[in-house]
Amino acid sequence: MIELIATAESLEQAEALINVGIDTLYVGEDRFGLRLPTSFSQAELKEITDLAHRNQKNVCVAMNAIMHNDRIKLVLPYMEFLQDIGVNSITVGDPGVIHLLKTNQLNLSYIYDPHTMVTSGKQVNFWAKRGAVGAVLARELTYEELTAIAAEAMVPVEVLVYGATCIHHSKRPLVTNYFNFMKVQQTDSNNLYLSEPKKPGTHYSVYEDINGTHIFNTDDINLLPYLEKMYLANIKRWKLDGIFTPGEHFVNIVSLFVKAKKALMKDNWSQSLVEQWNEQICKLHPQQRSLDEGFFLKDPDEVK
Amino acid sequence: MRKKLKKPEVLAPAGTLEKLRTAIHYGADAVYIGGNAYGLRSRAGNFTYEEMQDGVRFAKENQAHVYVAANMVAHEGDMEGAGDFFRKIRDIGIRAVIVSDPALIEICVTEAPGLPIHLSTQSSATNYETLNFWKNEGLERVVLAREVSMDEIKEIRQHTDIEIEAFIHGAMCISYSGRCTLSNHMSARDANRGGCSQSCRWKYDLFEMDLTGKRQTVFSDDADEPFSMSAVDMSMINHIPDFIENGVDSLKIEGRMKSIHYVSTVSNVYRSIVDAYCNDPHNFVFQQVWEDELWKVAQRELATGFYYGVPDEKQQLFGKRRKIPVYKFIGQVLNYDEATKIATVQQRNSFSVGDEVEFYGPEFTHVYQKINKMWDESGELIERAAHPMMTVKIEMKQPVKALDMMRKRK
Repeated sequence: MIELIATAESLEQAEALINVGIDTLYVGEDRFGLRLPTSFSQAELKEITDLAHRNQKNVCVAMNAIMHNDRIKLVLPYMEFLQDIGVNSITVGDPGVIHLLKTNQLNLSYIYDPHTMVTSGKQVNFWAKRGAVGAVLARELTYEELTAIAAEAMVPVEVLVYGATCIHHSKRPLVTNYFNFMKVQQTDSNNLYLSEPKKPGTHYSVYEDINGTHIFNTDDINLLPYLEKMYLANIKRWKLDGIFTPGEHFVNIVSLFVKAKKALMKDNWSQSLVEQWNEQICKLHPQQRSLDEGFFLKDPDEVK
Repeated sequence: MRKKLKKPEVLAPAGTLEKLRTAIHYGADAVYIGGNAYGLRSRAGNFTYEEMQDGVRFAKENQAHVYVAANMVAHEGDMEGAGDFFRKIRDIGIRAVIVSDPALIEICVTEAPGLPIHLSTQSSATNYETLNFWKNEGLERVVLAREVSMDEIKEIRQHTDIEIEAFIHGAMCISYSGRCTLSNHMSARDANRGGCSQSCRWKYDLFEMDLTGKRQTVFSDDADEPFSMSAVDMSMINHIPDFIENGVDSLKIEGRMKSIHYVSTVSNVYRSIVDAYCNDPHNFVFQQVWEDELWKVAQRELATGFYYGVPDEKQQLFGKRRKIPVYKFIGQVLNYDEATKIATVQQRNSFSVGDEVEFYGPEFTHVYQKINKMWDESGELIERAAHPMMTVKIEMKQPVKALDMMRKRK
């Protein structure tokens, strides 16, 4: 069974995503989860969870932050709250959270998600043996590697099929520090980008929040053309991240992935449909950003 | 009643067997090295099993430990032979292995029982529950993330009894370690498998872009300093008592790629400070000479990282660099003849009669003098020691010891 997981930026968008046919909403609060389109309050999370459950959909809450002492203290009450409102799962990137889950015997499923770190089936299984019901794979994996991991893993693995890829997380306020050094009032723009030396065409998104500074790859991911390959390789948990694709555009892109999912399930996947959907994705994707397939088509020996 | 202080270990980097011997000779309680696989410094000198054996033998003779860093984040296929590797290094007498990838931890636990495991800083451990998790997994020690503050260390110590290791000196990732793949995406080199191309230290253009793709530079085009993410190096030289008072078990120095000049100097300085404080904490006074000594091998500005607050722009390298006095390592003493007051030295960089030179040895001994007379291997008086690795005899005003190092200002 294919599971489509999508971030939501608002209650309205969550509703629209449910209506177009996603399986799981991915939401959270930025004290506990990383790089979310919106940081939701507990009341809002409850509302979203109720909405999802009324529609027989799942909610996964982001708890994949690197927790310092001040945060880890808040984790247990927060997880108790999530348990009470009945969310279906959480993502976790910090083993301290797993320790709290275990020692307090909470009835909360967790998916292991430490960003760049999950790169082998054996690692997925390490966490599976410690209760993880799934793992989010690193973006820096090729098709060949993804296939080998999926074959070895004891629990389902999740792959980003659409959206921005974070490639750098610093606790330092790197943008603020630069503005301070330049003695210039910091812009309130949330459309800041970096370009590489000698590659003026590149545009790496960068922003700061309470978790530090985040930098994203110059190209966002779009794996729609390769969904059949992944399906056949038993990689069936697909995440769509709308952090840089606001509003209706994101919902429409998600709906194309829903179509693709249905085509695969009904066995009428075709090259012409893929091309048609892909064209629409490119139109809906924010114009100033670009798309590619990330590491999917690379040779595993290409990046060592 | 004052609590009894535990003397922490001084842990130094050793990229080669020579650096291993040097670090221990200059006071390190332990060194960490790389094997031929599974590490994060593919370009640091890495040890063969034979070299490890020699290193472990030397360490044991000097009551020191050798750890092996195997802290890569493995992909499919990378783990082949890891069990055999861990067993071999365990049997050689390696005291512990430093790992971050849970897959490698599992291999080590199941296939090389008895080899203690230290969690690498690459895993970004930042809270006490995380340390408790790894303690329950049977790990011996956790190397803290460099983002942890001194107050957090204090609190962590109160909530866990697993050994704690913290960085005190050296270059730093500007990201959370392990959470950066700039290098993978920009240079096709895997940062978490030893390939980091240090893309963070490059110069970037920062700009705004609207929804149509129209770009606007944030600063005028002639902005003289581009965006960069280069951290200054860490030095906790002025704060070692804080680590000791907070119960940190091991004080780690970064730099497996660094020279024996660096390794000897930094080990010597921190050894002196730890001893001075632990021997008499009440009357401990910081000696300026310790700091002066460290600056002789500094390559960048020095700062305290996250220990006393979130690093601001002064802890990043922007703009014109302050000129750091640079010293050149010029030789090592092979022996010293009391009767003739002549030192035999192996040349490592050229020097001449008339040069003001400095000899330094373990326990922070220093001899400063001008070179008046020197002879080559055949006993001929020479003006200049120009040939690499040549043996030179130097007339001394004060005694020195074998293995003392010799440096001069550039």
